[in-house]
Amino acid sequence: MRDLDVVGQSYPQIDAMEKAMGKTKFVSDLALPNMLYGRILRSPYAHARIKHIDISKAKSLTGVKAVVAYADTPGIKFGPRTEDWTILASDKVRFCGDEVAAVAAVDEDIAEGALDLIKVEYEELPMVSDPLEAMEPDVPLIHEDKPGNIAFEFKIDVGDVDEAFKNSYVIYEDRYYTNQVYQAYLEPMGAIADVDLSGRITFWVGTQIPNMMRMTYAKAMGVSPDSIRVIVPDYGGAFGAKMENNVHLVAAVLAQKAGYPVKMINTRHDDFIAGNPRVPMYIDIKLGATREGILTGKEVRVVGGAGARVVYAHAIVATACYRADSLYRFKHVRSKGYTVYTNTVPTSCFRGFGNAQMTFVLESALDTIADQLDIDPAELRIKNGIGPDEVSIHGWIINSCGLKDCISKATEAAKWQEKRQLKKPFRGIGISCCNHVSGNRAFAREFDGAGGIVRIGRDGRVTVYAGESDMGQGQKTVFAQIVAERLGVPLNLVHVAIVDTDFSPFGLGSFATRGTLMGGNGVLAAADDAFKQLADVAAEMLEANPNDIECSNEKFFVKGSPERNVPFKDVTEKATFVRYGSPVVGTGFYNPGTELPDAETKYGNISPAYPFACQVAEVEVDPDTGQIKVLNFVAAHDIGRAINPMATEGQIQGGVIQGLGWALMENMVTENGSIANPDFLDYLIPTALDSPNITPILVEPIESSGPYGAKGIGEPALNPAMSAITNAIYNATGIRIKELPVSAEKILKELKKRPK
Amino acid sequence: MKVRINVIVNGEKHHLEVKPNHTLVDVLREELSLTGTKKGCGSGKCGSCTVLMDGRPVNSCLILAPQADGREVVTIEGLAGREPHPLQKAFAEKGAIQCGYCAPGMILTAKALLDVNPNPQEEEIRFAIAGNLCRCTGYSKTVEAIRSCANSSRNNRPSAGRKAYA
Amino acid sequence: MRIRPFEYYTAINQSDVLDKLAKYGPDTKVVAGGTDLVLAMKRKTILPRVVVSLHKVRELDFVREEDSRVCIGALTRHADLAMNTTLNDNFPILCEAVSLIGSWQIRNVATIGGNLCNASPAADSAPPLLALDARVVIASSEGEDEIPLSSFFTGPGATVLKSNQLLKEIVVERPKTRSAGCYLKLMRKKAGDLSLVGVAFQAETDQAGEKLARVAIGLGGVAPTPVRSPETEAMLTGLSYDEAIKEIPEAARAAVRATSPIADIRASADYRRTIVEIYVRRAAEKILGTLFNGEDIQK
Repeated sequence: MRDLDVVGQSYPQIDAMEKAMGKTKFVSDLALPNMLYGRILRSPYAHARIKHIDISKAKSLTGVKAVVAYADTPGIKFGPRTEDWTILASDKVRFCGDEVAAVAAVDEDIAEGALDLIKVEYEELPMVSDPLEAMEPDVPLIHEDKPGNIAFEFKIDVGDVDEAFKNSYVIYEDRYYTNQVYQAYLEPMGAIADVDLSGRITFWVGTQIPNMMRMTYAKAMGVSPDSIRVIVPDYGGAFGAKMENNVHLVAAVLAQKAGYPVKMINTRHDDFIAGNPRVPMYIDIKLGATREGILTGKEVRVVGGAGARVVYAHAIVATACYRADSLYRFKHVRSKGYTVYTNTVPTSCFRGFGNAQMTFVLESALDTIADQLDIDPAELRIKNGIGPDEVSIHGWIINSCGLKDCISKATEAAKWQEKRQLKKPFRGIGISCCNHVSGNRAFAREFDGAGGIVRIGRDGRVTVYAGESDMGQGQKTVFAQIVAERLGVPLNLVHVAIVDTDFSPFGLGSFATRGTLMGGNGVLAAADDAFKQLADVAAEMLEANPNDIECSNEKFFVKGSPERNVPFKDVTEKATFVRYGSPVVGTGFYNPGTELPDAETKYGNISPAYPFACQVAEVEVDPDTGQIKVLNFVAAHDIGRAINPMATEGQIQGGVIQGLGWALMENMVTENGSIANPDFLDYLIPTALDSPNITPILVEPIESSGPYGAKGIGEPALNPAMSAITNAIYNATGIRIKELPVSAEKILKELKKRPK
Repeated sequence: MKVRINVIVNGEKHHLEVKPNHTLVDVLREELSLTGTKKGCGSGKCGSCTVLMDGRPVNSCLILAPQADGREVVTIEGLAGREPHPLQKAFAEKGAIQCGYCAPGMILTAKALLDVNPNPQEEEIRFAIAGNLCRCTGYSKTVEAIRSCANSSRNNRPSAGRKAYA
Repeated sequence: MRIRPFEYYTAINQSDVLDKLAKYGPDTKVVAGGTDLVLAMKRKTILPRVVVSLHKVRELDFVREEDSRVCIGALTRHADLAMNTTLNDNFPILCEAVSLIGSWQIRNVATIGGNLCNASPAADSAPPLLALDARVVIASSEGEDEIPLSSFFTGPGATVLKSNQLLKEIVVERPKTRSAGCYLKLMRKKAGDLSLVGVAFQAETDQAGEKLARVAIGLGGVAPTPVRSPETEAMLTGLSYDEAIKEIPEAARAAVRATSPIADIRASADYRRTIVEIYVRRAAEKILGTLFNGEDIQK
């Protein structure tokens, strides 16, 4: 491979200036002629039967153009995986915030005022909000067809775990709880929906999965997927949350009814009570090791609270059950997972997708075992860590693996040895690792992989189309760099289109840390195709063999004779004309060759590449108040080649601070079935003052499956952060944190239990 | 009932009739189409709606529209002259922008900080922007971007002291 | 989160405010910075029929020195208080406390009068003002009245103000001898949180600078209203540095007896009590150091 010009360079996001100038039009900034504003009437009860809805008064309010309840919807049960949704509640409501009715009016004041005029008679039902309680006998059923409120069970049993425990020198066993946390993207969810005369529905919506959303919504609306168009303008963050949500569909139903476009943007309160926060989990873990610190067996039982709808919770619980097994050289593992309905807001994807929850638990358990065996925790991880070209217990083919490099670089930068040996009172240092995927065959229904389209205009400008949307992570910039590199043009010639299902390839979307590897390979293949088309024309112009044509610095030239060259845009212009105006459009796809895991054994290589990480945190605990200060944080990440090192660092720093927030302050509190802190006053996310400087370290083993050797970074940036901090707290105080988040109050309570 | 107000927005005089139960952010976005000012929480906790009112950063979601009468308001659209403001360039170039939803408010707060304290230390920067939440960047690159504009801000008055921006 | 419609007036001066309050009666709210009221109206917890804005009432935005006292107009904003030279010279404790309120954006519009009238048990300006024996001037169309701040609050969100009255200014006596004070605020994060506990500790020496002539402690977030801690104050008053240092642990424990904290999702009552003790101890140690040993001396 020749030296790289564009890939590997730290460019600002290609649309950063637009954003800095306030010119970017986010979903919530858009407006259409005659557009109406929608508002949803939500259930005040966690579980209740709807006896009667009267929308007549709301309808007669001046300025109201449509009022809808269940009877106005197609009435089809649907869902991204489990068909347990309806667009508006039919016979009963299942959580505080459940969508009951909705209004579209000429302005927001009228829409909100009209909600007060809708009269709903409820009959309250007994409710349950804790997933463990929900599984108990004689508990009210949330969905009558699911006994025990169990929506899904997941099982995996590899090797002989019981025998492995028998052969262990130490066994650690405990129960952990990972709480419900909120993604807290700064732009609330929402959409504009418009319906044309043929019934075709267009959504302008911030979503990570435009094509999968289209399929889900087609089912919900009782139409074919092609009669739904999803346009994804710029949108303000997602972190897993912006997949499907009823708020979009309610807008569509209102638009149908009113005959005008309807804009429906959540208030922050709506977003808290009816978004898709993280799946809370009870996790029982049993972990064994030999005297030398070799891990013998692992057994977990995961109970995840799905809330009132499954959404993706079952896949998240499954991920918690087994993904982390491929971080170390396990031979014997057993997991049982339960996805349980409760009368709370439906929970779903949040950066880490179940692996964040289990990484916290596994890495805490490992830390305890290291202590019991008196082995350095970093050493214990190096001893057991998986390496390059190994096959994990679940058949995952680990190509590149910089895990051990990450550990040595992170510990060195954090002065691990020195700080462990010269420990000061109430100061501590902790370590945590993680593995992850770059795409997940077990999750995607149709296939995994990605397509791309690269269209090159007469003047040499390049437009890239992909199915992976940019939620702010910089996906567009990464695609632009890959395509610019392949074509041999500067970055400023490349534009990346927003995802629009009318034009963009059928992409699965931006999740599972798959955007750069999957989407990047897809657009690279398309760029290859476009390049070949141009090389044919350039070859003719240069009187050379097309196979000998190369391009760099915007010039096509003959390999070995750079003086025989022709400008890029001369070639693109010629190409357009000799083809009678037919545009230069390169198309291509990437097939990762991954496997759908075996239904029974779950054996199968689910991703083409696996990123790894090691993070080290240093903390100080105030023994009087229990307050925790994170003094230093080093995050070393194996990301294959960093397409854009600055963007990669930004992902790491942002992910770590989200993890820090989860570890130390973030908590959605459910009291009597409703969320007690649905605002940023009491749902705490870190401010600039709460955020230490994060030192990112990029470990870059070239990944053979990745575009220019790249793997993903989104989720692994967060996964190890919580346990790096709680392990540091353990080192500082001897307190083992088993429930997130760690408040100052909890620490003080534990400290007070100590004999002085 | 509507109330007449006179307000200067980005240097331009506006005579508006506003509903008193609307807030300044509604007026900016809906009446003046200045959508660079973002709505993030509606309760003064996230800072996405930050604008400068008489030079000071304020949450425009908590100011009743008539209270803007007689004031001078600067939004992100009004920060740049012919060229982008140095802070806008620095935010882009240093990677302080990811999704960019917090950026208009964050940049305006930073601008006000540099106006009163042209050479702020890291802690002072973090204190000043603590009312602007960012969920993407973890703030490291934000602080770096603001630091890179220290002393190079056009308004180079001496610092008004320790608590100038408190 | 739209606000329900209301009748609106901009008051042009103080007497205009008082006239309007007298005219429109009990469902009327005055709005100063609005950071509490506008939010309450959005949440529909307060639904006034009439709103009178004070933003043009410039005459109540001041810090004025008068002989032995300093007067603070009710419409002075926290950001201005925090950097006011007179206040920093005389009552740095107040500047410290208000600089921890909300965010810079909030402090740029929120006023001290608003903070007091909102009457949150956790209002950050209240503990230092209580510790400074502040008095408040209450005006109505019938005249003015000056009362101690300690009798201003009547419960969470409640004050003695009648519907025709306006909090006009706050008056604080200047310390006659060497004084120092500090405010410690417990938050769940480092900025932008309400005070779970706020401890204001203010002390003065005698003329000779040998003994504590006056100790005053204001506590926020730990009772239905901000309160003083008379027992602790009495235990420390009159003591020399050495005596006081010995007495601090016991005095700090006594401060807890002045409290009756609630438990909520922010903190347990127990934790709030613990922090009162710790913060009173820390504040006392710090202020004694400042007064007697010149440590970290304030202007």
